[in-house]
Amino acid sequence: MNAQNVEQKPKIKRETKNRIRVDFDRTPLKERLKAKFLSTYFLGKIIFSIFRLVLMIGIAYIVLFPFLTKIAGSVMAPEDFVDVTVRLIPRNFTLDIYKYIISELEYWEAFGNTFTLAFSTALIQTFICCLIGYGFAKFKFKGRNLIFMLVMLTMIVPHQTIRFSMFMEFSYFDVFGIVRLLKGGGIEIFGWNVTELGEGVKTFFEGLECLPDRIQLMPYVKENGANAFRLDMEITQAGINICNTYIPFILLSLTGLAFKNGLYIFMLRQFFRGVPDELEESAYMDGAGTFRTFIQIILPLSVPMMVTVFLFAFCWQWTDTFYTGVFFNNSNTNLLVDIVGIPPSLKLEYAGQSLYYTAIRNTCGLLIIMPLVVLYAFGQKFLVQGIENSGLAN
Amino acid sequence: MTNDVKLEKSAAAPKKRKKIASLDRRKARSGWFFILPFLIGFVVIYLPMIYDSIVMSLSEIHMAEAGMGGYTLEFVGFKNYIDAFSSDPLFAKRLVEGLKTLAFDIPSILIFSLFMAVMLNQKMAGRAIFRSIFFVPVIISTGIMESIAAQDILNNYMGSTEGIDDGSGSSAATELVSSMDLKLLFANMKVGTGVVDYVVEAINNIFNIVNRSGVQMLIFLSALQSINPAIYESCKIDGATSWETFWKITFPMISPMILVNGIYTIIDSFTNSQNVVMAYIADTYSKGSEVLSSAMAWIYFLIVIVVVAIIGAIFSAFVFYGRKSE
Repeated sequence: MNAQNVEQKPKIKRETKNRIRVDFDRTPLKERLKAKFLSTYFLGKIIFSIFRLVLMIGIAYIVLFPFLTKIAGSVMAPEDFVDVTVRLIPRNFTLDIYKYIISELEYWEAFGNTFTLAFSTALIQTFICCLIGYGFAKFKFKGRNLIFMLVMLTMIVPHQTIRFSMFMEFSYFDVFGIVRLLKGGGIEIFGWNVTELGEGVKTFFEGLECLPDRIQLMPYVKENGANAFRLDMEITQAGINICNTYIPFILLSLTGLAFKNGLYIFMLRQFFRGVPDELEESAYMDGAGTFRTFIQIILPLSVPMMVTVFLFAFCWQWTDTFYTGVFFNNSNTNLLVDIVGIPPSLKLEYAGQSLYYTAIRNTCGLLIIMPLVVLYAFGQKFLVQGIENSGLAN
Repeated sequence: MTNDVKLEKSAAAPKKRKKIASLDRRKARSGWFFILPFLIGFVVIYLPMIYDSIVMSLSEIHMAEAGMGGYTLEFVGFKNYIDAFSSDPLFAKRLVEGLKTLAFDIPSILIFSLFMAVMLNQKMAGRAIFRSIFFVPVIISTGIMESIAAQDILNNYMGSTEGIDDGSGSSAATELVSSMDLKLLFANMKVGTGVVDYVVEAINNIFNIVNRSGVQMLIFLSALQSINPAIYESCKIDGATSWETFWKITFPMISPMILVNGIYTIIDSFTNSQNVVMAYIADTYSKGSEVLSSAMAWIYFLIVIVVVAIIGAIFSAFVFYGRKSE
């Protein structure tokens, strides 16, 4: 590379009409390799990449180890848990635990129920959060930032704070006293009831009573069980009891208030901010309205991001215990999160009992997350790409 | 009337301005339309819940007989709040404990997730595989899996060699890093004991930290990828080492995301159901004292809001916004 080399005339090796092959007087291959591989820079790089690889493998091991132990424990026979020489590799291989959990804890039914719940809520949440996120990202209106602060507020307030009032809200669901009015309870203003005005007023409002005491749809689908298509709502003057149905989940999803929806709205807002305005402008030029632009232009663009949000919503709803605990308060609900337990046939009193029972519970966990693993295997490409392209950092 | 309109129409400039304003207003109206679901939900469902919860934390509850419309409330002022501290011996203790854990967790989660994001952003063999492995906990280890993991004694058992005679005769080999060795190493390096304890605890807690830094990792990763590569190139040409580049370029560029992640981590770890205070409040709730538990939850919420505000204020003083004009 020094001046001498440049001045030297290149050797012409072969020449045709439109091609020429020249050979500069280069340093020999051996020298070049030496300079490349024996430098401190290269050595440092090698050492660093080995260090990095070891670290990555170590952390991947930490992440995966609990799953390994769960899988190992799930295929062990009871006697393996008292055998001190058995650790990760079972001596007596058996699939009994899986068999009894699936047959005795009504796994498939729970699976079906959970799937309907998670799939429907995740679909609704993805769409609604897109809508809300797009509204925040692309339109300027008064109070936009204030309302966005409210979205953040729903994320910050811990669920535990509103747990009881949430339960009450949906046990006696009533919007602006409409149910109360239609049940003949009159109109209530800050604790004062209009029917107290007089006997005539009272009879007038009682005459309004037009709602049945109970709404039942498809009562033949398993008594008291949680099922998407089964509705059993008791209506009193205090409101409709919509707990133990899927309606609260649907309502919360439709209004962007469900589990971690604040985070999705935030993510999608950041994503839509990165979409160039020209796209919409050209659509407006062509005479499309804002909603049509959103559906036909914006949504197809944001499929990776939507898959990401859907994945989050689906998986988090799938394993959620808080909301299902609040809304399904009778013990007969059969969702996947409720199957964690010991099947009757596997009850066993012996020295390794606590370990064995832990292994059974872990197996329940494995069976719960199995579909999520499959889903993640397909969706992880979108997850990483979606987040990367989201420009979450803008 | 018609004259006025004609006058307005004849003047070109006001007409133009008016038209633009109306388009803006139309766009504003569609904006409202898009966020309408949230607004309705917030007013009809969320606000009443928050209001009820606050009222409830200020009252005594009397359950009515079934079917007759739930419960009646008797206003008692701040009695529940005072009770939470005075008549419940454990609450204040748990609160301090919870805040201490929070103070311990936030730096380690932030540092770890930033470090991992920087690592995962480099070109290396098997990067895609590592990425998808590290995000497994975000997707899977939530909700029910957390409570299963909390009572998972099998994990320790499988990982231990206790009971197996490995000839060394020590049982300390079960820990991921023998803390004695590490402490000795750091003591020889003349680092303060506080730092040593912190690092040792963080390493023994690494599983927890890895599990909880998934979302943060994603956010940092996307932040790192949004930095213009030209900046790095010019740094390289000017002869900066990668250490210098990290502190002078990468760190300032992603500092807004450090703020976001810090706040996210605080919120995430204090709304987490495995959190000591949260668990205690849930326990109080399930024991039947709903009002006391909602009072406790509001106390906790206020404390954390204060923490978020303080940390946000401190962090945002150091945040570098590259694109102020935007």
